[in-house]
Amino acid sequence: MGGKEISLEKLRQRDTRRVAALFLAPVAILMAIYVIYPIIDTFITSTYQWNGISAGKKFIGIGNWKTLLADSSFWIAFRNNLVIMVLSICIQIPIGLALATFLDFGGKKLTVFKVIWFIPLLMSSVAIGFLFTYALATNGGLVSTISGWFGGGNVDLLGNPKTALLTVIMVICWQFTPFYMVYFMAAFTNIPYDVFEAARIDGATRGQYFWKIAFPLLVPSMKSAAILSMVGSLKYFDLIYVMTGGGPGTSTELMATYMYKQSFSTFNMGYGSAVAGGMFILISMVSLITMKLLNGKEEA
Amino acid sequence: MKRRMAKLMALSMAAAMIASLAACGGGDSGSGDGGSSSGGDSGSASGGDKEIVYWNIGTESPDKDVITKAVEKFNSETESGYTVTSVPTQNDTYKEKLVVAMSSGECPDMYSCWSGGPMYEYIDSGFGQPIDDLFNASEIKDKLMESAVSQATYNDHVYAVPYQNISMSGIFYNKEMFDKYKLKEPETLADLENICDTLKKNDITPFALANSSKWTGSMYYMNLAARYGGLEPFQKAVAGEGKFTDDCFIKAGEKVQEWVEAGYFPDGVNSLSEDDGQAKQLMYQETAGMLLCGSWYTGTFATDSAEFYEKIGWFPFPAIEESDADPSIMIGTVGDQFIVFNCEGEKLEAAFECAEKHLDEEVIDFEVENGKIPPVQGIESKLTDSITKEVVEAANNASEIQLWYDQYLPPAVATAHLDGLQEVFGLTKTPQEAQEAMQKAMDDYLANKAE
Repeated sequence: MGGKEISLEKLRQRDTRRVAALFLAPVAILMAIYVIYPIIDTFITSTYQWNGISAGKKFIGIGNWKTLLADSSFWIAFRNNLVIMVLSICIQIPIGLALATFLDFGGKKLTVFKVIWFIPLLMSSVAIGFLFTYALATNGGLVSTISGWFGGGNVDLLGNPKTALLTVIMVICWQFTPFYMVYFMAAFTNIPYDVFEAARIDGATRGQYFWKIAFPLLVPSMKSAAILSMVGSLKYFDLIYVMTGGGPGTSTELMATYMYKQSFSTFNMGYGSAVAGGMFILISMVSLITMKLLNGKEEA
Repeated sequence: MKRRMAKLMALSMAAAMIASLAACGGGDSGSGDGGSSSGGDSGSASGGDKEIVYWNIGTESPDKDVITKAVEKFNSETESGYTVTSVPTQNDTYKEKLVVAMSSGECPDMYSCWSGGPMYEYIDSGFGQPIDDLFNASEIKDKLMESAVSQATYNDHVYAVPYQNISMSGIFYNKEMFDKYKLKEPETLADLENICDTLKKNDITPFALANSSKWTGSMYYMNLAARYGGLEPFQKAVAGEGKFTDDCFIKAGEKVQEWVEAGYFPDGVNSLSEDDGQAKQLMYQETAGMLLCGSWYTGTFATDSAEFYEKIGWFPFPAIEESDADPSIMIGTVGDQFIVFNCEGEKLEAAFECAEKHLDEEVIDFEVENGKIPPVQGIESKLTDSITKEVVEAANNASEIQLWYDQYLPPAVATAHLDGLQEVFGLTKTPQEAQEAMQKAMDDYLANKAE
């Protein structure tokens, strides 16, 4: 009797495993080809001195990695990435949350705002890049014109190494805030309406409801939003590439633009791969540490 | 368990996010991209088929028409039995596409490029065949300008056929404006600075420059350096016998900064974009008086407004009085597009024949009609445009013509040059610092090469 039961359970387990393997296979194969293999290949390529096109590669072991560690350009790029990361999280998530809250409280009559605010996310980064390059132009751009009304001179935001990075971050925030708005709107719909009603019946104001009830319920979403924003910022490429090309000088150089330049413009594929590998390690580390911190708080 | 899953998820998410980048970094993995439009073609071509795949940047008229004309002429007249298939790619992505194609073994049989550093890199990697024998036996040997052939030569072998355009850097100016303020074309740098001061006094920006593109500012720098010290310091520095911190380079950088401080360039010069036409706009609005750039600008002006083009004059960069450098030296390209060959034997002969067709009289006439200056001898007699004639005259009289630094130098050095110079324009680096960075890049390059 007992033996039969065990075998039944085993049978079911085996079936489950088979089905699981079957269903996971497509994703696993795609991941292996397009994610895991390139990553491994990147690390292999990073041990060669190679211009990217010649048949002969020269094995130099950890030579590229040594150079990378001592390469001030790469660390400047990493620092710029960190600046983008911190500011993106500090700006996009609060504004996104504020907009979502406003829309959630306002209901259907605010649909028009919902649509308007969502538009930036629908535009391609390249189009946004061109748009803002014109809007921020020194001669006849938006900021210069407004400064002119108040008697100020032309303002050069993108050409000045001190302001270029901040300016680009503002544009990045303009583009991605709507994403977090939508993200938090979805999170709001997950809070049952009964909770809101119950709170109101107990005499809570809207403000109290938000701070005491909705906000704590939204914290998990905020955590994952922060991680999304973080990873996105660390691998950022397109808007910078279009708007400043990493310039002036190296003031807006990011790890990704640096990698691109090394690999394709300066025929340094081996070193470019080391940069890509370095990015991979740094991003993984930063993500893991942040998640550890965030989850640690949850338990406390 | 949940936490481990979260960790796993996070890792795989990070991995997925970076995968696109990693795919770029790993040379082999990019092959799908490069082969997409013509991989099949070139694959079959290298398999002994009678098809020659020819990559170029002729996506728009008139370049497209010129190439089509030459290729069609070859396909209809040739007795070699080969046919050429032209695969045009948009300019901006062309270099990357070529690199990806080469790394994945899909290099086309013949391709067009800009000569200089990248071309040497292709040749060193085995994607360019010397064509000395074919070239010496061909009539284009006597037809092409010597300076064009020298820009197609590497390590004493001819590797490429230049065909498209002569482009010299020089200064375009607004003739009406010069008349109004009683200015005339300068003979010396001091004259030029007087002109700038006069324009500045009248609230006109002396030079229209859009330097977010970086190579545009390099035009000023290259000319200044050549006038201060000739080409010898540059050639020596490239060969590893001299330094980029030579006097003439430092002086050129200091002059640039002097001009920036004097307000000779527009506000926010480093954020203006050449690709968006922000330099020429200043010329059209007549808020700037002069523009130093390659002579392809004649075509740009003429196409944008024939009326405005009437107002434009041109002069080569003036001499510097206290310097004994030869003022006839020009900075520019003699050919612009150079066809390089990646095939052998009969196929190479056929491909070369096709390249020759680019310099056929009929094709040359067609190019001239479209405002190009093919790099062939006696071309001046075919030209009608007065500025173009002046440009060719300057090129013919030049004792030497140096290809643009950013094109000529090894790519890593070129990048160091452009980045550093942009900061010199932005006054955030001294010329000395910028040149030291450039020299360091050169040292690294030479050290790597020697290994």
